[in-house]
Amino acid sequence: MSALHPFSLLAIAAALPAFAWILPAPGGGLATATLALVLALVPDVRAGARVVRVAVLTAAPFWLFLLLLHDLPTTVAMGLRITTMVASFAWLVAALPPDRLVEAMVARGWSLTLAYLFAATLSAVPVLKARARRIVEAQRCRGLSPRGSVANRLRALRALALPLVLSALHEVDERALALETRGMGSGVHRTPLAAPPDRPLERAARWALLLLCLAAVIWRLA
Amino acid sequence: MRTLGLDDVTFWYPATANPALENITLDVGPGDIVALVGRGGAGASTLLLVAAGLAPRVTGGRLAGTVSRGARAGIVLPTPWTQLSGMAFTVWDEVAFGPANLGWPGHAITRHVDHALERLEIVPLASRDPATLSGGELQRVIIAGILAMDPDLVLLDEPTAELDPEGARAVWRLVRSLAGEGKAVLLATSDVDALPDVADRIVWLEQGSVRAMGEPSLLAEDALCEAGLGTTVADLWRAAALPAPYPLTVVDAVQRWR
Amino acid sequence: MALSRALAFDGVAFSYGNVAALSDVSFEVAAGERVALLGRNGAGKSTIVRLVTGLVHPDAGSVWIGDWDTADLAPEDLARRVGSVFQHADQQLFARTLREDVGFGPRALGFPAREVRRRTDEALDALDLHAHAEQHPYDLSPALRKVGALAGALALEPSLLVLDEPTAGLDRAWRARVADALREHAERGAALLVVTHDLAFAAETLERGIVLDRGRLACDEPLERLLTSAERLKPLGLVPPPIAALSVALDLPGRPVRERDAAHTLARVAGGRSAS
Repeated sequence: MSALHPFSLLAIAAALPAFAWILPAPGGGLATATLALVLALVPDVRAGARVVRVAVLTAAPFWLFLLLLHDLPTTVAMGLRITTMVASFAWLVAALPPDRLVEAMVARGWSLTLAYLFAATLSAVPVLKARARRIVEAQRCRGLSPRGSVANRLRALRALALPLVLSALHEVDERALALETRGMGSGVHRTPLAAPPDRPLERAARWALLLLCLAAVIWRLA
Repeated sequence: MRTLGLDDVTFWYPATANPALENITLDVGPGDIVALVGRGGAGASTLLLVAAGLAPRVTGGRLAGTVSRGARAGIVLPTPWTQLSGMAFTVWDEVAFGPANLGWPGHAITRHVDHALERLEIVPLASRDPATLSGGELQRVIIAGILAMDPDLVLLDEPTAELDPEGARAVWRLVRSLAGEGKAVLLATSDVDALPDVADRIVWLEQGSVRAMGEPSLLAEDALCEAGLGTTVADLWRAAALPAPYPLTVVDAVQRWR
Repeated sequence: MALSRALAFDGVAFSYGNVAALSDVSFEVAAGERVALLGRNGAGKSTIVRLVTGLVHPDAGSVWIGDWDTADLAPEDLARRVGSVFQHADQQLFARTLREDVGFGPRALGFPAREVRRRTDEALDALDLHAHAEQHPYDLSPALRKVGALAGALALEPSLLVLDEPTAGLDRAWRARVADALREHAERGAALLVVTHDLAFAAETLERGIVLDRGRLACDEPLERLLTSAERLKPLGLVPPPIAALSVALDLPGRPVRERDAAHTLARVAGGRSAS
């Protein structure tokens, strides 16, 4: 899967949610959600199971809220669509290393800054997770228990939120300095270190995916 | 000829009334190693940012006076873990991040990256994931990433803070060899004891101004010892109430003692 | 005897995945003892800190904090006895003001407000931080943030204080302040375990040196003896600090390693030489 060109991975991750919303519910959503979850499991079941868990845990609260606000058919229809979105993104984060995306975008003539923004979005989740882990560790060493009753857990979550956001914001300044000094924004076109190959077949498949989306829209509107 | 010239530079950070640097005049030429010493918050880090052209351009704020830079600058900031590009999955790619951004041809990138890895003695780390490195390894990778861009002006802010004594010695040797190749080096460090063997000139900063400037023997003067900036040996000589001039290093002290 | 033991490692092994970080490490630290944990980058020092704080548990052997076996305890339980400061202080400050931050630990452990206030004030006092108490942690310089994190650990009033590179980036005045605070804390009966590359600081502040080499205990002895032996230090990646080196080079009687002792000796010997 990771042998695919980054743009192909992006195209799949965008197409699945698109189909989930275009195709009639609940069959369409069920198909896309299943497909997204299966995709995650394909290359490596152990690693894939983690991705699936993250996707399911993230989607679960949405299902709960939907059920509180709507009837069952709406809940299922919307829930499957949201699950598709979440699972596609989780799969993309796992399958697409940000550096490959940057190289691909730069090779295609995009500006480095824009490519960086894209890639930074993809890597934000693991970076924030690592930071959160370090903060929680430090807080536990000062006696804050993240376990036990719901009240305890909520208290720990609140204690985490502020330093997580503040330390991330604080680092932004330093990161800006560091990136600048390493030649970002030099205005020169970056040399791709290892531009991922883009096979004609993949390119054609991406166009086909787009046309299929359009066809589905036309079919639904007609 | 000078690589860096600051002429009567005053700098204010955004939304502050008091300048962080005041009336700084300083020249650094090819082959020079100039060391900034001072208490924490005396302005050494800010001076390095100004020298790198990052302040005020990236930090914001206001600058008076003139900064002239005859060459490309590379700066190593004091916190290595915020300097990772986040865009590389191997140490080799991390070090290549800067050179690639400069748009160099592939063979030039390879040559400079390999050379930088060798100089920092981190060739065995080349295929490691930067996110798994220890602080000391990271510090070396970051220094390599800057050197791979082949800057003519090398700016170092506490470059040995994360390193063990062996690693620190290796960095100081590297600084000398960079100067030997004609690069200009401006650095800030709290490791005053390393400076007599490293620096050509010492600049003592106090509250954003240059309090004194001179040869490393400055580090054995009463005023600097008083401010906690003298070398340990000078400080000891003074504490023992032995006559000035105080020795700078252990070697000086041994000669003096005989 | 058991009461005076603050920390014990008993045949401890630990690995990250299949990379061994520590093997068969055993040592004890008594109450009030001041110990430096030395060695190269990657020798296993940070792993010891993580074991002592309960963030990881040994694969083999056991780690004791007083009479508690850490195997069954979480970091938040151990916080009643262990205070710790990690290398990167930025991720150890959690509140809007330094004062509030220093009180974080005692508050989390559920002490009443009066006790939290007393501990906070004492910790701020010990490190001379009152002038900065109302500032936001991120408005402080990196050095002060580091000292602030140390104050937060002191406020736990731990029987064992574990510090990872407490002096990195500090100027000499702050180093001296930190050294004083640590000595005072040890005089009240707490044990200190300090990971540091700064051997000059270790010589001034601590008394015993434990050196790790590639995950094994390479050496455990009084710092005076260890630091004045260049040929022993070298293979361990260590270099004698200036005063120890000078003591040896000038053959000063008693081989002092602390500045005050060395200054005394130096003055005495110099006086004797000019008299003769």
